[in-house]
Amino acid sequence: MSDTIELAVTRYRPEQDTQPWEQRYTVPCSDDMSVLDALNYIKDALDPSLSHRWSCRMAICGSCGVMVNGEPKLSCKTFLRDYREAGVLEVRALDNLPVERDLVADISGVVEHIEAVKPWLIRHSEPPVDTAHSQTPAQMARYHAFSQCINCALCYAACPQFGRNPAFLGPAALTLAQRYNLDSRDEGSSERMPWLNAEEGVWSCTFVGYCSEVCPKDVDPASAINRGKVASDINYGVNLFRLLRGKGDA
Amino acid sequence: MRRSHEPISWSLFGAGGMLLAFIGPGLIVSTLLLAWLVQDPQALYATLHSGLQHPLVRLATLAVIALPLYHTAHRLYHGLHDLHITGPTWLLGGVFYGGATALSALCAFWLFTL
Amino acid sequence: MRKPWQPQQPRNWWLRNPAYRRYMLREATALPLLLYTLLLLAGIVQFSRGEAAFATWLSWLQTPAGLLLQGIALAAALLHAVTWVALVPKILVIDSDRLRIDPRHVLRAHQLGALAGNLGLIVATLWLLWPTGGA
Ligand code: SF4
Ligand code: FES
Repeated sequence: MSDTIELAVTRYRPEQDTQPWEQRYTVPCSDDMSVLDALNYIKDALDPSLSHRWSCRMAICGSCGVMVNGEPKLSCKTFLRDYREAGVLEVRALDNLPVERDLVADISGVVEHIEAVKPWLIRHSEPPVDTAHSQTPAQMARYHAFSQCINCALCYAACPQFGRNPAFLGPAALTLAQRYNLDSRDEGSSERMPWLNAEEGVWSCTFVGYCSEVCPKDVDPASAINRGKVASDINYGVNLFRLLRGKGDA
Repeated sequence: MRRSHEPISWSLFGAGGMLLAFIGPGLIVSTLLLAWLVQDPQALYATLHSGLQHPLVRLATLAVIALPLYHTAHRLYHGLHDLHITGPTWLLGGVFYGGATALSALCAFWLFTL
Repeated sequence: MRKPWQPQQPRNWWLRNPAYRRYMLREATALPLLLYTLLLLAGIVQFSRGEAAFATWLSWLQTPAGLLLQGIALAAALLHAVTWVALVPKILVIDSDRLRIDPRHVLRAHQLGALAGNLGLIVATLWLLWPTGGA
């Protein structure tokens, strides 16, 4: 079998290298092989020094994100067969994030942004243990797509505003804020609004929309952020009204 | 986290964008038609003049100028940021949003002193 | 020892991906639309200065520069209208316990509204300019 494909992998070894460089590998290519399979092949058979992240192999853990020919992709959900025409696959660590080593991007900044918006149900009072928070299917549908995020950070690699300013909370964090604000069981939106209202919140977004194109889970973060702008707009108006009536800033 | 005042410019941007989507192409085709079809500029002047007597028509005309000014100023302001062209916020904000405000005020003056 | 490589966004980032180029083109529609709005504003100034000045402005519309500006502005306005209306249902979501509107209907309503607004304006102008009409 001479069916092979070439991978141009951007490498960075902090001990030796001062900047990333490209290394080429030739790997077998078959219809069922994913980019992750190719990377694992390189590590197992060609070059054990290559570092990359993965776990589930089924697009659910969110750890295998890389740039493939300039596009943010989950390597386990991207198949070599779709690149036969192109001939070469350029694989590098996710854009816009610090590169720890080879294909390993440091997503800890993204995780901090996600934690900042309090992505959990906030209740002022807990109902008795023997009752449940009831929710209708229509109420669940309101946030369901936004709750499918797997924190893979592909949307951060896709976002030029995050690339320009890493303080921008970014797509996944703002989507999660919106996900809980839209949940009928949640009472915590007043704690999340200050994050949305900030310059680093929804207002750094210019609706490039590429985040929604690359999201492997069809979360549509661009829509979530821009609905957050409407919410922040209304919040601004309400606050202005409060200030005009001599009440404090909320 | 400091509250951003972007909601003001974003609302004006949104209103202008909606207006341009709903009448922008039609408006441009209309002025192109003016260029080709107008036979009697005096009669057109008289028609527009009598139309502009109504305060609501003046207000609508002001909106057709002012909202696109804010819309385009907002996009260009953020476009400079995207192109890595930076400067003091007060200066850039003053030029774009201040410029749109000044021109809108002038437009209101011209319209309401007709 | 950690020594992460810190990437810097290159100034020409927007040239590197078709999605970014489409975005920049959308944003760039603002430039001709601004110039066209200034042309309209000049029309109002000229109008306020009287009949003769207004006739001068009408002649500006027919100069090559005037026609070129209107031509480019028309292309920009069309691109703006199409991209703008397409994004409306992602921003304007009406979905509460009391009222829910299908996003597809929000899109349809805006598409029809934009068609009606633009065509209506053109028809009104034609009617105004028709020999038997106003002017
Ligand atoms: S929103 Fe989509 S692209 Fe972004 S982190 Fe979540 S799953 Fe990944
Ligand atoms: S390995 Fe888990 S998402 Fe790809």
